[in-house]
Amino acid sequence: MTPEVLTLFILNALFVIFATVAFILSLRITLYYDKQSTTPVQYRLEKQSYLSATIIKYIFSIKIPLFIFFIFTLEKISLILPGAMCSAGVVNATDYGLYLLVLKLLNLYLFAYWILLNSQDMKSETQPYIKIKFQLFMALYILLVTEIIVESLMFFSIDIKDVVDCCGVVFSVSDNSYMAEIIGAPIFVQVSLFYTLFLVMILAYIKKLKRIFSILNVLFVFVSLATLIGFFGTYIYEMPTHHCPFCFLAHEYNYIGYLLYIFLFVGTFYGASLALLQMTQKEEYFYYRVSMLFNCAYLLSVSAYVLLYYFKNSLWL
Amino acid sequence: MIEIRNLCKSFQEDKELIKNLNITFKEGELVVIRGKSGSGKSTLLSLIAGLLKPTSGEVIVDGKQISKLPDHFSTLYRRDNIGIIFQKYNLINELSVKENILLPLLPLNLKKRELNVRAEMVMSAFHIQHKSEELVKNLSGGEQQRTAIARANIANPKIILADEPTANLDEKLSLAFIEILKEMKTQSKSIIVATHDPLFFELDFVDRYIDFDS
Repeated sequence: MTPEVLTLFILNALFVIFATVAFILSLRITLYYDKQSTTPVQYRLEKQSYLSATIIKYIFSIKIPLFIFFIFTLEKISLILPGAMCSAGVVNATDYGLYLLVLKLLNLYLFAYWILLNSQDMKSETQPYIKIKFQLFMALYILLVTEIIVESLMFFSIDIKDVVDCCGVVFSVSDNSYMAEIIGAPIFVQVSLFYTLFLVMILAYIKKLKRIFSILNVLFVFVSLATLIGFFGTYIYEMPTHHCPFCFLAHEYNYIGYLLYIFLFVGTFYGASLALLQMTQKEEYFYYRVSMLFNCAYLLSVSAYVLLYYFKNSLWL
Repeated sequence: MIEIRNLCKSFQEDKELIKNLNITFKEGELVVIRGKSGSGKSTLLSLIAGLLKPTSGEVIVDGKQISKLPDHFSTLYRRDNIGIIFQKYNLINELSVKENILLPLLPLNLKKRELNVRAEMVMSAFHIQHKSEELVKNLSGGEQQRTAIARANIANPKIILADEPTANLDEKLSLAFIEILKEMKTQSKSIIVATHDPLFFELDFVDRYIDFDS
């Protein structure tokens, strides 16, 4: 039980308490809210909807940056776990690690989407998303609680006496897993897919094809993660056999991983959200620009490592 | 036009301060609401201003349901449509007369020149321009009230709500306020005054009296 894990436990306990209050209020709002009604029940529900939305907004606004703290915690634990070279060892130390990571990534997008939905709802006098946002929260509550349970199980299951696999084993081509297939896929296919997808995204941006742009952004997350592990990561480490998506979060690589993931997640989130919300033209342009700016920053950053390596060494890995 | 429909307001579960109230205030009308303390006059003004939400019923201003607006939009509606003269004036003592008067215009980001023109106009209309740079805490009760009236008018609202405007004034200053009220009436604003001051009870320029005691 490190101070970081203890902090996560305390915060999770607070999240569960407040989210449960918000869940009960959301259930009432979903069942009885009627915008046209002027009864005492409706006025009470309107007040409760502000309270509930505020609670949820704060929980999710803390949960999003807390993901970075979670990764930081894994890095710290990896220092005391025998065999672990980085977070990958901690994730792989228990049966829950990988599921937790996937769930956390999914929740990251969903929580951020809820914040956007709430912000759009509050911008309008008629609050067009009021029921939808509370219905969505009720589903997210289940995901939030599941995430907290799985996180607790993971931390409780870690035994610091057990020797765990390092990332070199977990992300190895010889491993018999989906990860090995991703890493083992031909580099030409991976890189072509990555850059082609980005070019199509630029076209969708120029033509302002909202739905296509959103779908491309969702695809870009997966392709980017796969190419980061399979190709670009090797240039960051300057080692052709090292495919870890965590090591570049460490001090030795100037914490560049945090920046790359922030670029990727912010860019694709804003891009993917475009088709999911009704917005003014001005807001749409803002979302397009933020998405392109961060996606471009990601693409240029990872590409720069490849080019710099080539200019320094006159060869490709 | 302000329409009050089946309005109820209670601050305690079992005690309704306002019960099934139905009133219509026409545009440009000057209405005096009479009633003793605790009869619900101020609460009604707060409900019209969107400062309070009803327990049930509706407040509709120019076809818009004010009572159903989310808080942020209530604030915008109040900023654009309502001028309030509070019983205790609610001025900021550490600011000058002019700074207090200009407060409602701050969110509009107007140019300094326009702010000055508008401040001069209302200060002159309510005879307070000679105290323009004076701190509010150094003013007399009547001057403070004129500052509050000027502040309520600076954004040129359609509706003026005055809550016990003469409660802290002597008779001479109260009569001066009534003269100001008469002047404001000529500007076709809807004015609602809540008071228990008998000086208001026999005014010939008041369009309507509403008794809240009953």
